[in-house]
Amino acid sequence: MRHLEKGAGLASAPRDFLRDLNADNLSAGVVAGIFGLSAGIIHISAGTAAGLPKDFTLLWVISYLFINGLFGLILPAYYRLPLPVANSIPGALLFAAIIPVVGLNEALGATLMAGAISVVVALAGWMSLVMRLIPMPIVMGMVAGVLLKFGTNMVMPLQNALIPAVVMIAAFFLSARFLRRIPPLVVTLVVGVLYMALSGADFASVEFSFRMPEFIMPAFSMDAFLAYGLPLALILVGMETPAGVGLVKGMGYKEAPANAITFVGGIGTMVSAFFNLHSTCIAAPMTGICSSPEAGTHDKRWVAAVIVGIIFVVGAPFYGFVFSLIEAMPSYFIAIIAGLALLRVISSAMHITFSGKHEVGAMFSFLIAVSGLQIFGIGASFWALILGAAISMLVEFRDFDFSRESKAARVAGEAT
Amino acid sequence: MSLLKDVSIPAITAGFVAVLVSYSGPLAIFFQAAQSAEISTTMMTSWVWAISIGAAVSGIALSLWLKVPVVTAWSAPGTALLVTLFPGLSLNEAVGAYLTAAAVIFLIGITGSFDCIIQAIPPGIASAMMAGILFQFGVGVFVSLEAVPALTLGMILTYLVFKRLTPRYSLVALLLVGVGLAVAVEDASLEGVTLSLANPQFIRPEWTWNATLSLAIPLVLVSLTGQFLPGMAIMRSAGYNTAARPIVTLTSLTSLVTAFFGGITTVIAAITAAICTSKEAHEDPDKRYVAGVANGVFYLIGGTFAGTIVLLFTSLPGEFVAVLAGLALIGAITSNLSAFATHKDHLEASVITFIATASGMSFLGLGSAFWGVVVGALAHALLHRPLPGLDRRAARDPARRTS
Repeated sequence: MRHLEKGAGLASAPRDFLRDLNADNLSAGVVAGIFGLSAGIIHISAGTAAGLPKDFTLLWVISYLFINGLFGLILPAYYRLPLPVANSIPGALLFAAIIPVVGLNEALGATLMAGAISVVVALAGWMSLVMRLIPMPIVMGMVAGVLLKFGTNMVMPLQNALIPAVVMIAAFFLSARFLRRIPPLVVTLVVGVLYMALSGADFASVEFSFRMPEFIMPAFSMDAFLAYGLPLALILVGMETPAGVGLVKGMGYKEAPANAITFVGGIGTMVSAFFNLHSTCIAAPMTGICSSPEAGTHDKRWVAAVIVGIIFVVGAPFYGFVFSLIEAMPSYFIAIIAGLALLRVISSAMHITFSGKHEVGAMFSFLIAVSGLQIFGIGASFWALILGAAISMLVEFRDFDFSRESKAARVAGEAT
Repeated sequence: MSLLKDVSIPAITAGFVAVLVSYSGPLAIFFQAAQSAEISTTMMTSWVWAISIGAAVSGIALSLWLKVPVVTAWSAPGTALLVTLFPGLSLNEAVGAYLTAAAVIFLIGITGSFDCIIQAIPPGIASAMMAGILFQFGVGVFVSLEAVPALTLGMILTYLVFKRLTPRYSLVALLLVGVGLAVAVEDASLEGVTLSLANPQFIRPEWTWNATLSLAIPLVLVSLTGQFLPGMAIMRSAGYNTAARPIVTLTSLTSLVTAFFGGITTVIAAITAAICTSKEAHEDPDKRYVAGVANGVFYLIGGTFAGTIVLLFTSLPGEFVAVLAGLALIGAITSNLSAFATHKDHLEASVITFIATASGMSFLGLGSAFWGVVVGALAHALLHRPLPGLDRRAARDPARRTS
């Protein structure tokens, strides 16, 4: 346990929460919370794309909000840092894609192992080693490749549903530009539903419902572990934690607890595996919102992250309403919403993939992930990481942190 | 005659290597276009003849006239554009679009507005469109990996190893090893490959709005940004301060003629230019123009025996051509992707251009490259263009940009 960072503790957290609560961190928390609620649409569209049953997808989103919300109450309160918790979006897409191949229980078994790997890595303090062996650009190349299809699915409706597609995409861009506090995705959703209502969509199936996460038993299989568990572990350890830690550090929280974030995420992911959910981890986009100057005074921004957790836990059982609303919409509606929701994620993934080191490896990782290649029944995401890293070692070994040239350059850099 | 005095073995070798590289990599893309157009071998030979003769005539004339190594070729991103448009587009329409494109480039050249136009295109949008067009070729490599694993894997390894050892010859090595592998592993037969002269075929041009918007305009755009811009930059970084005007004008005039025989726009070379402008071509920069002339002469020979080149490519499996084209373009795809992905400020507009272009969608009969630019330009205007008032607020509140 010696690698886990110490925090302020939970004993006085409720009292401090009320003391530190103010208009700034409340509004930032609500914005981030709404963002998190709208991210459920990505899960729904990933589930729809993979042809998964509606009932499963609904339970998945409810678990996402409830389980991630619970951990999201604990992590920021314990450390008094703006560390909101959600799940991994790339992980969600891998999860949805692998279920038809290996089965739900097997996929959840792989989730359990990915969580266990995170816990081990955190307890051993190995975070930095993992990130050196499979560098960020290669991981992000894989992520960008997996996400690209959602981007192209978004523009496809321009072919046969031009007007609603243009209305929704324009609403997104305009609100991204002119409305400050409301997430553009929410505006797009409202505009899209209004358009559908005016053009005569059938809302008869929209209904309120109350539902809690349900227990499910994971099963183990090697195929599921290689094609999904291992990539998920790499995503959680090699991407989600570094992205979140990078963000809070950038906002001036120098003592961000990298190992503890991985540890809590790992435990959360293991719990998730029993409730139909693929992961628990720090949520990079919401971290951006909760830790920014818009969330008020530096030492009180943690409150915003706790508010995200409250919104998640309270909103989770009622998500069936949003779900039935989206179900009532034509199929291109969800393709557009999902593409817009992922546009920033795709952009930043491509940014990290192609800005600097490991260029060749990252490029191959991206191309392999897009190609959907399968070898020995193992999916493209795995080969993207493995072949990407191998090719990078062959062609651009000097870019690795542990290569001699890189060390020499670092020494020279420090000397000057 | 000063040419005889200046001639040297290294310069001739450089010219030869440049032609060999062009025929190894970029020509494979043109073959893919020809395959998607489902044209006859005779017609394909005419195309290869036209692009080779266009490059030969313009390259020799410009090198001798300007006394600098001007290496010309056909527009590689332009040929990539063709792959998605055929067979919906007819040959006659394509030739009409080639002529339109050549006329537009001629006007740009003769008025000297090349530099202004290059600066007017929003940064990122052009490279994002280019990456979107070329992207499918890169993905094609890994689609082939499933169909013919041994051949593809062997070619990828060859490419990587030679890229590490001798980057310049990696494409040539790839071609040789690839042909060897195709014969050994995939049972391809080279018996039908014989010396065969080209017999140019005249194609009657047909002008349509559809071809103008889907092919001619994107063709001008990718030729300017993907060939003339890097090509001129390579010349200038090698120390040749040649004006763009004579080069743009003369290559477009050549294109106007070769278009009738299926030759896509002749442009200044980007991939192979550096071979002839570098020190390896000759120690004395004033004598490197011989490399440009030699390059043209070898194109002349290649064009004359275009039939043999076509026979070679058609006797090899389709996957071979796909992998060759994909690997030849990996460098170009990477540099275009990083050209827009490194800049945070226009990122989303560029990414949406890339996505729309790569999606291969078509609407109103117009191709994805056109819509990519339209959607990208709109997103750029909506998201990133400075507006009075709003950006004063954004400037006061820097956090807004980072969140």
